[in-house]
Amino acid sequence: MIFLKRQLPLAITFVMGVAFALQYYIPHPVSEEAITKVSDWMKIISGFALVLGIASVFHVHAVKIRRQAPGWGYSGVLFAAIVTTMAVGFWSGGESKADGGQTAFGWLYDYTMVPLQGTMFSILAFFIASAAYRAFRARSPEASVLLVSAVVVMMGRVPLGQTLLPGMQISIGQFIFKIPGAWDITQWLMNVLNSAVRRAILIGVSMGSVGLSLKIILGKERSYLGGGKDQ
Amino acid sequence: MKGSLKDLARRMIAIDRRIIFLLIACATLLPLLNPFGLPIKVSPEVKAVYDYMEALPERSVFLLSFDFDPSSKPELEPQAVALLRHAFRKNLRVIVMTHWITGTGLADGVVSQVAAETGKTRGKDYVFLGWAPGGYALIISMGQDLYKAFPSDYSKTPTLGMPVLEGVRNLRDVNYMVSLAAGGAGIEMWYVFGKDKYRFEMAGGSTGVIAPGLYPFLRSGQINGLIGGLQGAAEYETLIGRKGMAVAGMDAQSATHFVIIILVVLCNVFYFVLRGDKGKKA
Repeated sequence: MIFLKRQLPLAITFVMGVAFALQYYIPHPVSEEAITKVSDWMKIISGFALVLGIASVFHVHAVKIRRQAPGWGYSGVLFAAIVTTMAVGFWSGGESKADGGQTAFGWLYDYTMVPLQGTMFSILAFFIASAAYRAFRARSPEASVLLVSAVVVMMGRVPLGQTLLPGMQISIGQFIFKIPGAWDITQWLMNVLNSAVRRAILIGVSMGSVGLSLKIILGKERSYLGGGKDQ
Repeated sequence: MKGSLKDLARRMIAIDRRIIFLLIACATLLPLLNPFGLPIKVSPEVKAVYDYMEALPERSVFLLSFDFDPSSKPELEPQAVALLRHAFRKNLRVIVMTHWITGTGLADGVVSQVAAETGKTRGKDYVFLGWAPGGYALIISMGQDLYKAFPSDYSKTPTLGMPVLEGVRNLRDVNYMVSLAAGGAGIEMWYVFGKDKYRFEMAGGSTGVIAPGLYPFLRSGQINGLIGGLQGAAEYETLIGRKGMAVAGMDAQSATHFVIIILVVLCNVFYFVLRGDKGKKA
């Protein structure tokens, strides 16, 4: 039992990890065929993961409803929405259009999902404005830098800011001085400072990912195996 | 006088958030009802996408991946519409797909609508492949054999033998690709598992929130252009000379940004007026 729960997954992880790290650098037809096959397996696994995800959502919310945990009514709404969507989806054969017209499933998507998701996202604008008013304060030099940058970028990214704070040129004798506007400063902030910082973060995250992948391949990191009696 | 100023600052800092909500609602709605039509400045990163598309010969293969769902529709749909209008005007062969299952209906609606307005035919001028599971595995699969990854399109028509896909075997035959992304499964994934491996040129379109994170890819040439948020979409609409939803929305975005800036400035003024009060009380 311990072999199936521990050694076998570790061996599969090691073999597949090493093989497909090397595969990337081998442009041979056999290697290409291998990646095609494995990507098909991964697509099948992703499909199963979707089913597993739905089952997990059902389970979590069923427990909430059974225990009448705070907010269990929302779980009821979620259940009703999932069941209705699935029933309508099966009834429409999974098609959103049929015979040139819209099916019930297509209608459900266009007139409930699209506006509901749009509403959820648009509400963010109101909360961001309220949060910015209460929290965006120059409490320290770092916070002040962040505040000034945010205001400049917010101005530079919209036409009104570009019109109110345009760049200009001043000629003094034979010298021409260019005073950057909100647009120019925003472009500089995004392309130079933002890029440099993001690149540093990306490199750090990538190094971390490589390290973690190596630990998983070599069997040092085993939390993905889960806990159990045999662990 | 000083006391009354502090009282005012105290009251203003604790202002009912519904007043802020009302201000934002007005700043969004009024410019939509009465647009003031300010000029749109085009950034080099958006121009690069336009220039590349413009330089593609007729019947080149253009792949557009809708990697978003309806929650990002206001920002990314105008980008998709502008790119599709440009591609169809240039008479490119367009392949559309999505990595987000919840974005399938949206993508189908957008491509069908733009194709209908430009008189393009499904299967001959464009194809909507729909959604398939796998994420990066799907990209690898498309890179090996497009017809194995998508044996049929969204309307169940077999992809093999479609006139629009003539001469296209895999991602290596794609001339240009744009991923319109709202999050994880998007531009970065297309670069790592698609462009880097199968050697096609690509650009990105994204929501305003994730655009700053994509600048390193732009600066290193991993993507050749970037359309960021509604502003990026408005720039692209300006470039193709067909103003649409994005240009209309920019006035509202301008006003909303200014309301937020004024609120932040006021909040800081009140904060400085009240600074030190806490210490004195203690």
